[in-house]
Amino acid sequence: MAERVFITGIGMITAIGDNVAGNLHRLRSRQSGLGYSSYIDTIHRQVLPVAEVKHPSESLFALAGIAPTEGFTRTTLLGLAAMREALQHAGIADVQSAPTGFINASTVGGMCDTEKLYFDIIDPEKTGAFLQYIDTLDCADCTQRIADTIGFSEHIATISTACSSSANALMFGARMIKQGMLPRVVCGGTEALTRFTLNGFNSLKNVDKQFCRPFDQQRTGLNLGEGAAYLVLEGESFARANNSRILAELTGYCNTNEAFHPTSPSPDGDGAYEAMKTALAMSGRSLEEVSYINVHGTATLNNDVSEGKALERLFGDQVPLFSSTKPFTGHTLAAAGAIEAIYAILAIQQGLIFPNLNFSERMEELNISPVTELMEGYPVNNVISNSFGFGGNNASLVISKYEG
Amino acid sequence: MKGKCYIQGMAAISPQQTFEGDLFSAPLVHTDSNLLACMEPDYKPFIPANSLRRMTRVLKIGLTAALRCIQDSGISIPGPIVTGTGKGSLQDTEKFIKEIVTYKETALNPTPFIQSTYNSVNGLIALQQKCTAYNNTFVHRGFSFENALLDSMMLIQEGTSHTLTGAFEEITAEHFYIKSRIGFWKENKTDSRELYQHLSPGTIAGEGATFFTLTGQPSTQTYAAISGFKMLYKPAPGKLSTTLKDFGESADLIITGRNGDSNHEHFYQELDSCFPGIPQFPFKHLCGEYDTAGAFGLWLAAQIIKAQQVPRQWFPQQAVLSAPVNSILFYNHFYGEQHVMLRLERV
Repeated sequence: MAERVFITGIGMITAIGDNVAGNLHRLRSRQSGLGYSSYIDTIHRQVLPVAEVKHPSESLFALAGIAPTEGFTRTTLLGLAAMREALQHAGIADVQSAPTGFINASTVGGMCDTEKLYFDIIDPEKTGAFLQYIDTLDCADCTQRIADTIGFSEHIATISTACSSSANALMFGARMIKQGMLPRVVCGGTEALTRFTLNGFNSLKNVDKQFCRPFDQQRTGLNLGEGAAYLVLEGESFARANNSRILAELTGYCNTNEAFHPTSPSPDGDGAYEAMKTALAMSGRSLEEVSYINVHGTATLNNDVSEGKALERLFGDQVPLFSSTKPFTGHTLAAAGAIEAIYAILAIQQGLIFPNLNFSERMEELNISPVTELMEGYPVNNVISNSFGFGGNNASLVISKYEG
Repeated sequence: MKGKCYIQGMAAISPQQTFEGDLFSAPLVHTDSNLLACMEPDYKPFIPANSLRRMTRVLKIGLTAALRCIQDSGISIPGPIVTGTGKGSLQDTEKFIKEIVTYKETALNPTPFIQSTYNSVNGLIALQQKCTAYNNTFVHRGFSFENALLDSMMLIQEGTSHTLTGAFEEITAEHFYIKSRIGFWKENKTDSRELYQHLSPGTIAGEGATFFTLTGQPSTQTYAAISGFKMLYKPAPGKLSTTLKDFGESADLIITGRNGDSNHEHFYQELDSCFPGIPQFPFKHLCGEYDTAGAFGLWLAAQIIKAQQVPRQWFPQQAVLSAPVNSILFYNHFYGEQHVMLRLERV
């Protein structure tokens, strides 16, 4: 029998808070993190809203717990801030106290800093301290700097499957535990806003000039966000021997590819349907036992139709309560899966269903609409968390209340 | 990693003539430009012309190597697709960074952005193969392909019958320059044939796409079994030798990632002192150095163990094997940070 996988620590930083408590407070009080960028050098600054972490990189060093050092990108600093909280929350003073893996996720690595320096980097006439950032563009840079700062020396990896990256990181870590390779793995992702991605999504005509409106008939696109989140996963036997405080259980997961289109989901949501169905089957939970779905809900025209159809196909006329928290955090790409996995845990722990902000009109293609008001005192036992991305990558997680 | 998997099919696009023809009589392609570029095959049999026009180089070599590997394996039912790439499509990344500036962030063509996404090759393979199974992409320098391999071996342990597992990397002129600024390459032009004789800081650049079909069961077509696998991240002094000794006990041939870089040569010297007298075959004079060069090294090791011979023009000094090869130790590292050991067994 493979080990059960428990979540024993969480840490995060997003536009709505520097830590888990801050995020919870803003979720409860319906305060979105969307606004206009203070830090990206772009002509879209006053046009396209983003959900930015409200600190310049210089002050992120304090949150990251290190002295200001050249070569640490915003991606790394956000990651370190979230990592410190996750480890502290799990009561891990030293990751060397047990073999501990680190599975990270990123979509554009240190692009946030390198895009500002790139033309100097390729100019032989220019030299200076910026050369410290020369090798920070790839996705491994942030992972290794976080690993080296914290002291991870067992297995490390970085996953990049676009918007499903950190959901896949959680899955990979859980599988390593189940195979008995490691007793403990810290998984998640980090993502900083960049001019590169903002222009990328804007060139796809996928970005809303207003605050995003997931599952709304009038939605016109997503807003990007930034942040980082990590979850400490432990195998059951280790968690028990270690007397770890168990927050929730990762009971199911599925990664599937839609093989439909490089950037668009299928209109009937085949990939989303398959991912949710298979993850739920693995969890051993029935359709009726799903209390809440934290949907991918980017508010792009295609995603919400596709995901909504998949919900209706899977659950028929009994679709559970669902909402997208992207109007709070923006779409944080590689970090989204881990951020939303933490929201799933908060929903379970606090008995909350988070509101889907900015919704007013049901989509004509669907018979369902999201929860729009905060629900308190609601028993949440099993949450499906969806992350779907470019390249047809679909990932669903099932996070369940720990019941011994 | 415990457990075992089998290499049922392979394909490599590399600076050598590896895509088709008889490898064991292939000439040695060499350069003195410090950059070994891929020999690109004719893509037309693999990719429709209208798709080909849009695709950049690494997408083409990645997709084509994957499709050729599927052909070679004889397994047409699509399974999980797991890949590694350190840098993804550099050409698209560079292009989009520049177009943002050139066109002042307006009316941008999204294609380079889409193609710069690290999992775009995986998406293309899935799309072409109508493959809805598990799909994952690792992007971690010298652990990119290796994590893909680990993931694949885990999938096989979990009961998957086969996986398509590979790696792809390109080097552009611009990226070659960028890395030259931090000492990745040798300062003097070096003949790739004499790479190991010119011990000095840096090495020579390379690129390639290599794919494997891995299975849980052997067949008559199996190239080799992968029976051991270990990754070490920035090992503490002494750790490498201890691990290597344990790991490579039974090896009767060693494939190494040695690359003439004096900054990190000491790791390969540790290997030498662990296994004196075991014949060694380095592969970086064939493919150059890149994040996922290890995939090419594994491909070479599997060819050698299956054919029980070495490509003679690639290794003119030691073209004949003196004894049967039943177990190969593969050891590679990427700039001293990510160290990888694999054990291959003859099937």
